[in-house]
Amino acid sequence: MNSKDYIAEARGGTTRQAAKPKPQAQAQAAAAQPAAPAKAPEYKYIGKPTARVDGREIVTGRAKYTHDIKLRGMLIGKILRSPYAAAEIVSIDLAPALALPGVMAALKLAEGKVRYAGQQVAAVAAVDERTAEKALGLVKVEYKTLPSVVDWERARDAAAPQVRDDRPNVGKLNEYARGDVEKGFGEADVIIEHTYRTGFEVHNPTETHGSVAAWDSDHLTVYDSTQNIHGVRDGLARAMKVPAANITVIKNYMGGGFGSKLGANDYTVAAANLARQAGRPVKVLLSRRDNAVCVGYRPSSSQTYKIGAKKDGTLTALQLTNMASGGVGDGDDVAEPAVDIYRCPSCKVFEETVYTNTGASRAMRAPGHTQGAFGLEGAMDELAAALDMDPLELRRRNYSTKNLGDTGMPYSSKGLDKCYELGAKAIGWERRNRRPGEGGGTGPLRRGIGVATSIWFGAGVPGTLADIVLYPDGSVEVICGTQDIGCGTRTHMAVVAAETLGLEPKDITVKLGNSDYPWAPASGGSLTTPSVAPAIRDAALKAVERLKAVAAARLKIEAGDIVMADRKFASKSDPAKAAPFADVYRDLRRETVFHGERGAMPMDQFAFNTFGAHFAEVEVDVETGRIRVLKYAAAQDSGQIVSRLTAESQVVGGITQGLSAGIYEERVMDDATGNPVNPNLRDYKIATALDIPEITVLFADVFDPRINNLSVKGLGEPARVPSSAAIANAVYNAIGVHVREIPMTPKRVLEALKRKEAAS
Amino acid sequence: MRDFKIAEPRTADELAALLAESTESARLMAGGTDLVDELKSGVATAGLVVDMDKVPGLRGITAEKGGLRIGAMTRVVELAEDAAAGRDYPSLKEAALSLATPQLRNAGTVGGNLCQRPRCWYYRDPQVVCRKKGGFNCFAYQGRNKYHAIFGGSGCFIVFPSDLAPVLISLGAQATVGTAKGDKVVPLGDFYAGPEVDVTRENVLAKGQFLKSVWVPGPKPGQRAAYVKLKERSTWDFALVSAAVAGVVKDGAFTEIAVVMGGVAPVPWRLKKAEDALKGKAVSKAVIRQAADEALKDAVPMRENGYKVDLVRAALERAVLAAI
Repeated sequence: MNSKDYIAEARGGTTRQAAKPKPQAQAQAAAAQPAAPAKAPEYKYIGKPTARVDGREIVTGRAKYTHDIKLRGMLIGKILRSPYAAAEIVSIDLAPALALPGVMAALKLAEGKVRYAGQQVAAVAAVDERTAEKALGLVKVEYKTLPSVVDWERARDAAAPQVRDDRPNVGKLNEYARGDVEKGFGEADVIIEHTYRTGFEVHNPTETHGSVAAWDSDHLTVYDSTQNIHGVRDGLARAMKVPAANITVIKNYMGGGFGSKLGANDYTVAAANLARQAGRPVKVLLSRRDNAVCVGYRPSSSQTYKIGAKKDGTLTALQLTNMASGGVGDGDDVAEPAVDIYRCPSCKVFEETVYTNTGASRAMRAPGHTQGAFGLEGAMDELAAALDMDPLELRRRNYSTKNLGDTGMPYSSKGLDKCYELGAKAIGWERRNRRPGEGGGTGPLRRGIGVATSIWFGAGVPGTLADIVLYPDGSVEVICGTQDIGCGTRTHMAVVAAETLGLEPKDITVKLGNSDYPWAPASGGSLTTPSVAPAIRDAALKAVERLKAVAAARLKIEAGDIVMADRKFASKSDPAKAAPFADVYRDLRRETVFHGERGAMPMDQFAFNTFGAHFAEVEVDVETGRIRVLKYAAAQDSGQIVSRLTAESQVVGGITQGLSAGIYEERVMDDATGNPVNPNLRDYKIATALDIPEITVLFADVFDPRINNLSVKGLGEPARVPSSAAIANAVYNAIGVHVREIPMTPKRVLEALKRKEAAS
Repeated sequence: MRDFKIAEPRTADELAALLAESTESARLMAGGTDLVDELKSGVATAGLVVDMDKVPGLRGITAEKGGLRIGAMTRVVELAEDAAAGRDYPSLKEAALSLATPQLRNAGTVGGNLCQRPRCWYYRDPQVVCRKKGGFNCFAYQGRNKYHAIFGGSGCFIVFPSDLAPVLISLGAQATVGTAKGDKVVPLGDFYAGPEVDVTRENVLAKGQFLKSVWVPGPKPGQRAAYVKLKERSTWDFALVSAAVAGVVKDGAFTEIAVVMGGVAPVPWRLKKAEDALKGKAVSKAVIRQAADEALKDAVPMRENGYKVDLVRAALERAVLAAI
């Protein structure tokens, strides 16, 4: 997928401007977006550590996830999936399954060809799981197997079976050019060219995918484990041919998604159809195996970088060719870091995708950028070695203040230089080996330090809506149709409302996760906080204006003389004149809704991006190929941090995921069976707590009022982008050879060391 | 998961009789940490599951004939925390602590660990019928085999995953097997049998037989032992390669030595050639390297597991040096 398409998709295409007014509530006329201040204000809660407002619910098990939903009369739905990577379905007979007592509905879900193992074929709904499982075994499917290919390298052969009827197995993905690379290489003193590869990384959220569908007359309610309640609603409306107004999608708590839960899924449609057929609610939960075969993964890449530079490190030309693979779907375009991070006058990109008989890939935490950062940043380190230069110095020498790849416009703000400075200091950059592999170490252990850079989007979506409701008893509700996918959205919503209204976060009742609430984009693309927080801020500022007017009348002072803090309204000039918040609310006499909206940003003048620099220190055992990450420092430019604890937690998660993908995680496909051999958590290895080092999280705290009224940028993906790359570069610094392929398993590290031995 | 019956025998004789008389496919359950998973995923089916938990006398560690007897139902955590075992057999404690996770060590048993089924990813795929499951092909041989055997594969290239087995064999342990006609004792090394004997199982237990306990002889004067486990991540990981070394050291040389590797062959794999090359020589890195060279002459790596040859060298060297 192209990361820009992904962002556009997450943004929800055209944004809707109006929200449903709350019944019996006085709607507040939308006011113009107030001008943002010139410098960061002193905040009491914003940017400070606030404990998760839902932490107690979560750790005590009271938080209800989609898996926990139990409705009256609910049936269990199960889906039969193709065991073959390619086959013609000759027939499907549901009758034996329907004849089993307790089976209430059954569906055919495929006809013609199946193109990957794990594709939906049929579904049943029964009174309990055991019956549904038994019924699944009774569905008779006659397949005629067809030749298949799941190995992407073999799929490129002319003799390989054609995966898709509409196109050959290799297709163009992306092409880009600026300047004259041939001229650039001609001017270069040093040219390096290497290939970097990334494997298939499975999202594997703790909570597997699942939906519960229930009809009430012609209204469909779906409890879905999703990152995009509005998107699921709209997708279901299209698939079910039901008006979107008759669908409600609910997601209260979620155990992760990482990009694999961004839209309406085929199993959700199946659940809704089963429920309609049975006349009872149906729950469909996917298995861990399903997670490896039919709900996406990060596509692979094989990226060749050719980079030319002057002796002083100035880049003259950068050329990237990439071969990606995303199964029956497209791979990721990985070029964005290469075309944008460094100030290189000439740049040329050509990317292709290879189709195979595996499920389609899906967006995964910074699609394309994560792979691209691994390749580009590895190549930059190998270039630095060829130039005998400090890798950080090489990066600084080619620092870009403009978006060169796309619009040529200056970045509205770019705190990457500050990130380099903060991170280098925290890791102790001066301790690195001056040249890769030069440091030695005790016995077979070698230590090294590496850096990698990230660029990502994450400025948020104009048109995001949120409401603040003030009740006559003094209570406050903040409502937004966003979703908390585990990152702490509830907490930041409470923090912004409390800060603006002079209350405490615990005073705020947060409502989210319901598609009937005011529109917010998908929680993907690092969009949630920079979309939702400014909308809440806007609503709260409107509430403040109104409340100050009410308080001014009560206190008989000017509204401009009022300070709101510590749950009070008080006169600045005469602090004795004060009134508790609750009293002023009461003066409103009825509940009052304030609508907020995330305003526009000057996209025609500036580029809006997030940045970061990660630093890792590793120890490599050169006899066993085992890597241990000893220390890690991450510095992020995500603008104003809203909720510091959840932000830090987000960064630690990004590093953990990158460490895990960098050293352990890889879906292994088998061409003979057409299936993955490790669709579980035993052989698909994810880092454990013991594998995670000491982590320092730093924020550049860049103030940029052009972005939005809070100067907030996204963080979820920026925290993931450079983490595998930084570790790989640290390994390079430790052992003097770049492994050039993730995950860096003992096998690959030992093979790289042999390559080094052979070269010397 | 298919339906099955469950039996809870109250005596060892009743257990043996149940197994011998069972006409259905019967599976023994010790800790159940793996069997339940196998049944749920459909990798294994059982008409009857025989739970050993209610049989008295199978759990616990007792001193016997100068050594230690470890009951099959002893939890792995109990072995790891046993004072006598820790004092006399540090490599055994090391192996017990290196295995799985605290939760699994609390529930898993020594007998279950010694009789566990392979982790080969083809064997574990319910959709695949490989040789071990009565089919005709070993899918690993020409397929994905980075975790598979470099020694002793014969139509089936699983590796035996136990951490306890190589150590117990290196220490000269004996297995007591319960049968309907009474107990019999076999050296633990002979308890295991490779695919050339019967590809569908990993040990010599016949129908009606079960592992009752293992007995480890008392440490000899000058006995040294070590266990080195090489894995990919820090915990919850089977060995890529492991090495158990035990022997008697005099003047810097082994007068007796046993080297048993895990993760390299369908059974715990004794490196006789390495033992011969090490015996009687003052231990040095050069001597160990030579011993590894000798032993690795028998290695037959496949397309993706050649790196295990390097790991055998590293594990052997580290275990020998740690022991001495």
